[in-house]
Amino acid sequence: MVTLAEAPAYFSRYQEIIPDFEGFLAHLKRDLPLYFRLNTLKCRDPELVIKGLERQGAKVCPVPQIPHFYRVEPKNFPLGNTEEYYLGYIYPMTLNSALPVLALDPKPGEFILDLCAAPGSKTTLIAQATDDRAIIVANDRRLDRLTALVANLKRLGIACALTTVYRGEEFPHGVPFDKILVDAPCSGEGRYRQGYEGELLYQKEGHTNLPAIQKGLLIRAFDLVRPGGVVVYSTCTINPDENEMVVDYLLRKRQGRLLACKYPQPSHPGITEWEGRVLHPDLEKAARFFPHETESVGFFIAKIERLI
Amino acid sequence: MGKKARRKKIHQQAVWPRVVNLEERAQVLSFWEERFGIPKETFDPYLLLSTAKNYWLFATPPELKPLQSLRVQTVGLLFTRKVSHYLKPTTTAIQRFGHLATKNVVKLSFGELDRLRRERKLAYETDLSEGYVIISCEGKIWGCGLYLPGRLISYLP
Repeated sequence: MVTLAEAPAYFSRYQEIIPDFEGFLAHLKRDLPLYFRLNTLKCRDPELVIKGLERQGAKVCPVPQIPHFYRVEPKNFPLGNTEEYYLGYIYPMTLNSALPVLALDPKPGEFILDLCAAPGSKTTLIAQATDDRAIIVANDRRLDRLTALVANLKRLGIACALTTVYRGEEFPHGVPFDKILVDAPCSGEGRYRQGYEGELLYQKEGHTNLPAIQKGLLIRAFDLVRPGGVVVYSTCTINPDENEMVVDYLLRKRQGRLLACKYPQPSHPGITEWEGRVLHPDLEKAARFFPHETESVGFFIAKIERLI
Repeated sequence: MGKKARRKKIHQQAVWPRVVNLEERAQVLSFWEERFGIPKETFDPYLLLSTAKNYWLFATPPELKPLQSLRVQTVGLLFTRKVSHYLKPTTTAIQRFGHLATKNVVKLSFGELDRLRRERKLAYETDLSEGYVIISCEGKIWGCGLYLPGRLISYLP
């Protein structure tokens, strides 16, 4: 487990790719703001939620750059214990978690696969963005995590999703998916900060080779999407081995190209060289989001079109 | 030796729910229309699926067949239950579509709602007809209740 004192040494490997490295390290000491998404499928009147939460002592402000997102003060306000949560009017989630769905740009009627869906923040956002009209297959390999996903689908009143429990790398062929989201399991370095008690996943597991898992998931997703379709690959880690290197592997194995995307949060292009290795030039169209610039969890997003 | 973690098992024989025929669909949707005044057309964008005791709503896909090859755990939103010879609306469906209801909606004060949730029933007089009602409070739809003359029974989870 990395402690805060060890953070500078741990992250020094990324000094070249993290802008304002000192600012990044300083930001690790602060708690992230608290946000929720208004579930417009169930609650059409934001005032109902805002006034309800304010009665319970919270201060609620809309986030101008991302529709239906609200910032809540104080940061430790127990959103999960409110009636607004119980009734499915809100989904507490970090701002940058919405960005992979914005990149996916889901439309009503499309077949969409969320390959690593639990606990469902992105699945439910896809449903909301399409007014419950996309056909979403929400998959997770772990049944215990799927239970949380199913509970969230139920709580938010979503009718356009079905759930499956396949290993992502073995998800069966046969559905002509228009779009696939691979929000891959990762080391979670973008979430790292003071007071965070969980170890970094790859350190905890010891034998878990995350890049190998991520490559397997991305290759399978690419093979599942129809030609001309889109795969969005995202992680909440800074590590290029789990980001650009994974996408680079795909671009060398399959016929695809990266698509540029506009985001409502400050971002940086993906890197095209890492530890002496030159990567696919398309990777500059990927996007990196850093916690200290976005007041949210660090993210990596690549939008890939299948050519053949 | 540490305890072995108990893991849930995947339902390997899980099969797709059946798509109901037009007659059965009309019967279920008529219940919602007659009881709550929610027009049948509200549910036009959805397929109605059936398992042994439940009806489910699922967004109508361009093609259903490819999806039916998947081993599914859940499909869509739990919409209506078959209880004996009756149909019962689910909390999930009421919370989602209840705002469209034009009749048999019981508006409770916060105090009444609190008592109903704690005590599971409430002495209540209204001119509504007997049967399932939608429980709302301060503009929020909470779920399902059963109105019998002089009392309201909670079906809130």
